[in-house]
Amino acid sequence: MHNFKLKVLAPVGALIIVASTSLVLAHGGATGIVKERMDLMASVGKSMKTITEMFQGDKPFDPEAVRKAATFIGNHGGEQMTRLFPEGSIEGPSESLPAIWQDWEGFSKLADDLTQYAGALAEAADNPRGPGMGSGMGQGRQGGTGASPMGRRNPMMGKSADGMPMNDPAALAQMSPDAAFVRVTRTCSACHTQFRKKQ
Amino acid sequence: MRFSYLVAAAVIVVVATGSAVTIFRGNPVPEDVIASLDGDPDRGAYVARLAGCIACHTNESGGGELLAGGPPLKTPFGTFYGPNITPDPIAGLGRWSINDFARALRHGISPAGKPYYPAFPYTSYSKFTDQDIADLWAALNTVPDVDKPSTSHELGFPFNQRWALRGWQNLFFDSETFRDDPNRSELWNRGKYIVTGPAHCGACHTPRNPLGASDAERALHGAGGLPGDERSPPITTAKLLEKGWTERGLAFGLRFGTKPDGDVLGGSMGEVIRDGTSWLSDEDLRAIAHYLLNNKDTE
Repeated sequence: MHNFKLKVLAPVGALIIVASTSLVLAHGGATGIVKERMDLMASVGKSMKTITEMFQGDKPFDPEAVRKAATFIGNHGGEQMTRLFPEGSIEGPSESLPAIWQDWEGFSKLADDLTQYAGALAEAADNPRGPGMGSGMGQGRQGGTGASPMGRRNPMMGKSADGMPMNDPAALAQMSPDAAFVRVTRTCSACHTQFRKKQ
Repeated sequence: MRFSYLVAAAVIVVVATGSAVTIFRGNPVPEDVIASLDGDPDRGAYVARLAGCIACHTNESGGGELLAGGPPLKTPFGTFYGPNITPDPIAGLGRWSINDFARALRHGISPAGKPYYPAFPYTSYSKFTDQDIADLWAALNTVPDVDKPSTSHELGFPFNQRWALRGWQNLFFDSETFRDDPNRSELWNRGKYIVTGPAHCGACHTPRNPLGASDAERALHGAGGLPGDERSPPITTAKLLEKGWTERGLAFGLRFGTKPDGDVLGGSMGEVIRDGTSWLSDEDLRAIAHYLLNNKDTE
């Protein structure tokens, strides 16, 4: 019984606490390093928006604009990004998770990947476009590569979006811009899945 | 204290009432027609992506084997672990018939006649077509056996009273076959089938009542109290349009994780995209986007 009371009331209590703190935080505003990185993320997002609209087919594809936006993103990945995350800096309206410092290596790797893939995209901007989905990656990624359709874990789960395991930035620069674009978006998404507060 | 007694009493009365009805209704009868179909394991692997089977039945971050048991799913009722659904005869589904499988998906009842917790989204899976079930079954049978059972659910009273789920099912669950709306296009119907059936979008995007049943009146209106204290946004047509989604943008976003404002989808949706929607065909993504952006049911 006691247990049940806890189960019912604890979430209610937690909700009140969470609600009241977020109210305070929302008015607090970001300062210092948190503000700096939130501003950076916003400008990276702006460049992503520019690129996405073109890959998605909402706007005509302009290789020069893609190159410019991708270069901007690439210049703000790697250490330029990780230096804005000193240990424990989750104050104010920050959406960062402590997981960043528990898995600093994984976090830094994704920041480096961002620079690498955005760089590949900048280089690949003039290459011929890839197939499918008004520009996308075509026919999905049907599971199964071999005798067993459900696959062993790795072939089924570890493959890249377009079914190609290849993630080498130098090789990507030779391919369609779409192939590099998908790796950029996946890198953003992987980082925000692991290291940003769930909304 | 008085409040919690009251809630517990209400739960017991509700489930007991429901259960009394069940006793007279008996168990649902499995559909024999499924056994006569040829399952295509390749298509089944695709259906597994569509239905999110892998995410809940594979503890990927814990290094678990494919479909040998899921990571903890923390809910207000307790912690659930997706069971082992490999073909192992003891720990998995090796002794099941395809009819057992169909009954589990469509009616939420185990081969031994026990009701499943609605953490297993049979309220959506009941819409699965016969062919999808046959294909999924064929695909599951290609997975390597794992002889270790998954972790047992961790639930406190009164939610550990599994018999009570019969009452829950009676009150909140009608196994519903999906029917195309003849006044709508094939694309729209396909989208509705995916969203309300296999992809069970409502499991996270539709709010639930205190007993964990979906609030049909507010389908896809967004919900709080999700595992990991997460909140899902509304995905009604009106809200999606308000946030700048287009059919093209949404289909694109379900593959690449991009959002109209230049942000990306993270959190659990990042996982759904990574393990599920990014694997779907262009046509299915278009169908989902078309349905969601033309969904009068949510107005």
